[in-house]
Amino acid sequence: MNTRYSDKNPLILRILGIAGKTVILGIACVFTAFPFLWMVLSSLKTKADILNTDVFFPPDPQWNNITSILFDSPIPKYIFNSMWVSLAIVALQIVTGAMLAYAIVFLKFRMRRVLFAVVMATYMLPVAATYIPSYIILADWGLLDSFGGLIISSTVSIFGIFLLRQAFMQIPKGLVEAARMDGASHWRALWEIVCPMTKSSFITFGLMNFIGTYNNYMWPSLITKTSDYFLVSQGLRAFFVRDGAYGTEWALVMAASAVVVIPLLVLFAFTQRWFINGIGGETGMKG
Amino acid sequence: MSEIILKNITKEYENGFLAVKDVNLEIKDNEFVILVGPSGCGKSTTLRMIAGLEDISDGELLIDGKRMNDVAPQHRDIAMVFQNYALYPHMTVYQNIAYSLKIKKTPKAEIEQRVREVAETLGLTGLLDRKTGQLSGGQKQRVAMGRAIIRHPKAFLMDEPLSNLDAKLRGQMRVEIADLYQRLNTTFIYVTHDQTEAMTLGTKIVVMKDGEIQQIDSPANLFNFPANRFVAGFIGTPTMNFFDATCTEEGGQLVLQTEKGRIPMNEKKAAALRDGGWVGKQLSAGIRPEHVICADRGEEAVFEGEVGVFELLGSNAIVYVQTASGRMVMNTSDLREYAHGEKISLGVMADMVHVFDPETERTVTN
Repeated sequence: MNTRYSDKNPLILRILGIAGKTVILGIACVFTAFPFLWMVLSSLKTKADILNTDVFFPPDPQWNNITSILFDSPIPKYIFNSMWVSLAIVALQIVTGAMLAYAIVFLKFRMRRVLFAVVMATYMLPVAATYIPSYIILADWGLLDSFGGLIISSTVSIFGIFLLRQAFMQIPKGLVEAARMDGASHWRALWEIVCPMTKSSFITFGLMNFIGTYNNYMWPSLITKTSDYFLVSQGLRAFFVRDGAYGTEWALVMAASAVVVIPLLVLFAFTQRWFINGIGGETGMKG
Repeated sequence: MSEIILKNITKEYENGFLAVKDVNLEIKDNEFVILVGPSGCGKSTTLRMIAGLEDISDGELLIDGKRMNDVAPQHRDIAMVFQNYALYPHMTVYQNIAYSLKIKKTPKAEIEQRVREVAETLGLTGLLDRKTGQLSGGQKQRVAMGRAIIRHPKAFLMDEPLSNLDAKLRGQMRVEIADLYQRLNTTFIYVTHDQTEAMTLGTKIVVMKDGEIQQIDSPANLFNFPANRFVAGFIGTPTMNFFDATCTEEGGQLVLQTEKGRIPMNEKKAAALRDGGWVGKQLSAGIRPEHVICADRGEEAVFEGEVGVFELLGSNAIVYVQTASGRMVMNTSDLREYAHGEKISLGVMADMVHVFDPETERTVTN
């Protein structure tokens, strides 16, 4: 039966259906966006207005909150730290993840499936369980409280390996074989044939891990203690507790939080199209 | 100059499956060698071992006298055309064809010139800026060939390159490949399961079955002197008719006795049968449909039966006859219509009969 939905339902039911969907999605949007909106609005209020729950919109926008965060606080330094450390980590994770995924999908060797199973099994491990061994290794290498330690301890992303493996599996093996016959090494085949065809997965992987690393709090706060090496979350917390619980400058904390989110929003705006494709598993290979 | 030698090549997969068993093959410079056989016979695996895309489990592969077993595909200087074309979808036709030269760091001007030449040869000039997704099957096939010929490799490997095309285009591309072979003057190794492609293109045909080579010969010899029953049945359309017969001697003349008649053996065949000690024994015999004749004008009838299906193909007709020896197919140029159920007698051209050992299936009388 190929009956169209609209043919069988009277107009009123269709309108009700659309209205229902709109209401549900609207509520979900409000719940998701409200804390963000609250943060942005609070960043433009005075401390007294923030604590006064009767005031929602700032009566007199305090733009100096933002400027003082940008020019008179260590927050921009933390953002810079987070940005370049995240970039370095993501770059390494992409290289290692792509190489391992390529090997698992396109190379033939004994225990290939076992290797993938072992890699995936480590994904099941609670992150906290890896903290102590990782800490000891970094301590042995003298990399505690350094950018080197932050970067090296996050060189491999299991999620990325899995995501890229799934994407690579959509590519006909013949393409890689054709590249090999054309004279390409595995390295070239990976970056010149496989990578451009799974671009959206690479972008999704990069973006998700960039956001995760940028916002990461627990692990960086365990291995760094000098404020020079702080990433944003840790920096925000330090900023938050700077003046003790009673002296917290809520307006500045909110302004700092809002400023910290800006780079991520800009990044997402540019990569949104690919991001959705990558999650949907579209590799541009159909047909 | 490129000579490819396979010495006792074997391919065994991890699960123990033997895909290719002890294959020995010598391919000389400028030969057009066809590997042909039914699905799963090991022909593609053999080709892929020559290409370097499959590891060789045992044996030796020599190209121009050098052992190539452990040499990576990109260092073998061999080009390959794949069954599904394997064109890079994110590149234009130009980039696809130029890719191998780009890897070799050929100067841009030379790449441009060579791509234009190849495009001219293959009729792709107007398509160079297109993405491969915008091409038809035949055009994709040409791009795949262009990608191979631009490199001037030692040898071309082709893995069922025409099997994704429709019948008309396949015929057309077959002629183009034959033409290309004449012009390029290089070694071609071509895998197909289509015996028409094998017979029309190859200068040497290798028939394979279950990972083993059955016969290596020229197309004409393969057709006229098959080494065994499998080759006899595989080459030729419609396939050869097989029937049981007993070798008997009648007044000094050796004959094959069928259920309905006798097929006299000529001197050569008789000598082979006598030497093999086949007199008085049961044999398996075969006759091609074009060597079966209608025996209603006084020729000796060897089979009698009823017409099942009659196919008029234009210049010839195929008649399927159900006899006591099984179904016999006659390919005749006598275009009279045969009615379904009509009783007819069939004779054979005695010199064209093939005789096989019923156990080993090897030819007795070649």
